[in-house]
Amino acid sequence: MTSVPLVSVFSADDSSKVTAKHIPLPAVFQTPIRPDIVSFVHTNIAKNRRQAHAVNPQAGMQHSAESWGTGRAVARIPRVSGSGTHRSGQAAFGNQCRKGRMSLPIKVWRRWHRRVNIKQKRHAAATAVAATGIVPLVLARGHRISQVPQIPLVVEDKIESYEKTTDALNFLKRFGAFEDVQKVVSTKVVRAGISKQRGKKYRVRKGPLVVYFNENAKLLKAFRNVPGVEVVNVTRLNLLQLAPGGQLGRFVIWTQSAFAHLDKLFGTYRYTSIIKDGYQLLRPLITNPDLARIINSNQVQEKVQPAKTTKVLHEVQKKNPLKNSKAMDRLNPYAKKQRAAAVAAIKANTKGTKKIKKNKALKKASRAAYNKVAASLNDATKAAVQEEQDIKVKYFSVQKGAAQTE
Amino acid sequence: MSQSVLWEVVKGNNAFLVKRNGLTLSTDPFNNTGVQTYSSTGFITKNAIGVVPTQSKVNQINNVNLVARKSTKFQQVDRKTKNTQSVYASTLSVKHGIHTASRVIRKRFGTRRLGLQKAALRKLVKLNRANAVRRRNEIAATKAQKK
Repeated sequence: MTSVPLVSVFSADDSSKVTAKHIPLPAVFQTPIRPDIVSFVHTNIAKNRRQAHAVNPQAGMQHSAESWGTGRAVARIPRVSGSGTHRSGQAAFGNQCRKGRMSLPIKVWRRWHRRVNIKQKRHAAATAVAATGIVPLVLARGHRISQVPQIPLVVEDKIESYEKTTDALNFLKRFGAFEDVQKVVSTKVVRAGISKQRGKKYRVRKGPLVVYFNENAKLLKAFRNVPGVEVVNVTRLNLLQLAPGGQLGRFVIWTQSAFAHLDKLFGTYRYTSIIKDGYQLLRPLITNPDLARIINSNQVQEKVQPAKTTKVLHEVQKKNPLKNSKAMDRLNPYAKKQRAAAVAAIKANTKGTKKIKKNKALKKASRAAYNKVAASLNDATKAAVQEEQDIKVKYFSVQKGAAQTE
Repeated sequence: MSQSVLWEVVKGNNAFLVKRNGLTLSTDPFNNTGVQTYSSTGFITKNAIGVVPTQSKVNQINNVNLVARKSTKFQQVDRKTKNTQSVYASTLSVKHGIHTASRVIRKRFGTRRLGLQKAALRKLVKLNRANAVRRRNEIAATKAQKK
């Protein structure tokens, strides 16, 4: 890499002002992105905050229950001894029994914590820091950074002396980080499940992470009541904060001195770290991971055979040439001319004939004739109906009432 | 950051991913097809164009914003309007509506990435049609109200 990427440091009071124009990016941000390492380290490190819990060792076993053995027409499970209560003779001890102890009861000496190799932990942290400088990853994690002036966002050390939450809030607003805070506030939900009765009532998203350097910085108190915002010293960067849930790309706000300290903390590709004794940043497995660029490069394209043109034997969907004129033309190029000739012939035939003008008088006369016929038909049907009725009356006149019902 | 590498990180899980009814969809503003695939996911590329609907009033022609993905780390300030643009995207100016918008898209893509270009144009047309229907209804409603 010949050119070193540069970053600006912004003034705390004015987001358009830049106090230091071009600072080189610390080498950590060039670390290859290794989600596999981060995922592995995260799943293990996340277990380290667990508190031991266990089931009461005597639970379900505080009986002098004994099996009744065979021959009693009952199952061979141990049964509660004694008499005089419903409980006597009931099954006990088994995991399948009501009021029995659970199978494989949880013991306090379960292995709650996991140790991870130091090098793996450091590589994971370095990758997570690198990911905070990559805009698509921060977007993919779900942070609202559309108004943030720069990623990675570096601000002068003045914010370390903020004591009031109002200062902190105004600072976040100035730098477009408030949108992320608003997201946190609006998506606060009551947790599903029993945990809400055990002190974890709400599920709250993660907002920006503010990283400072000087130990006597007061900004912790200023920022801690802002929902979603976390504050951490750069010497104690935590993977669980840099990649929450194992997902890379937390939105981080660095102070200038914290940003400058990263080179000492993680080292560079020329020098190993001073603080993490002997730690060398991870080197990429592939120096140029841009697959598209490799494929399109001159070196590859020179050696590559020319692309095979796929021979299209037929259309995907068959078109009926008898209905689809274009399909017909493809098969028989003369068809187009034939069609044109046919149209011309029709036109020639009809050229001499005049249009028949409808004679009004003729129309009237024909209509009158029709009406006459219709009327006569009407009369005929009427007469027929009347005749039928007369016949009915004639022959069934005795039962006139009965005739009505027919 | 290479698109290939970013895809490997992002394809399993990202904020825009929506899995529903066996479909893998995306709410990525730079994705014009709606389905999450390697080539259509625009926010991991250096240059992509997102066709984004805006809330337009009845008489407003433009219902669509063209958002161009850019890979600079610094925010740019539009000199004329003094509006700060976002770090990862800049809105392309579209003066007169759908035909200028389609010209902007075609000019940006040139002869490259025909599939993506068609997808952007397709979305543009669909949004425009939907907006026409909406405007028609709004106008009818206001007319009815006046009566």
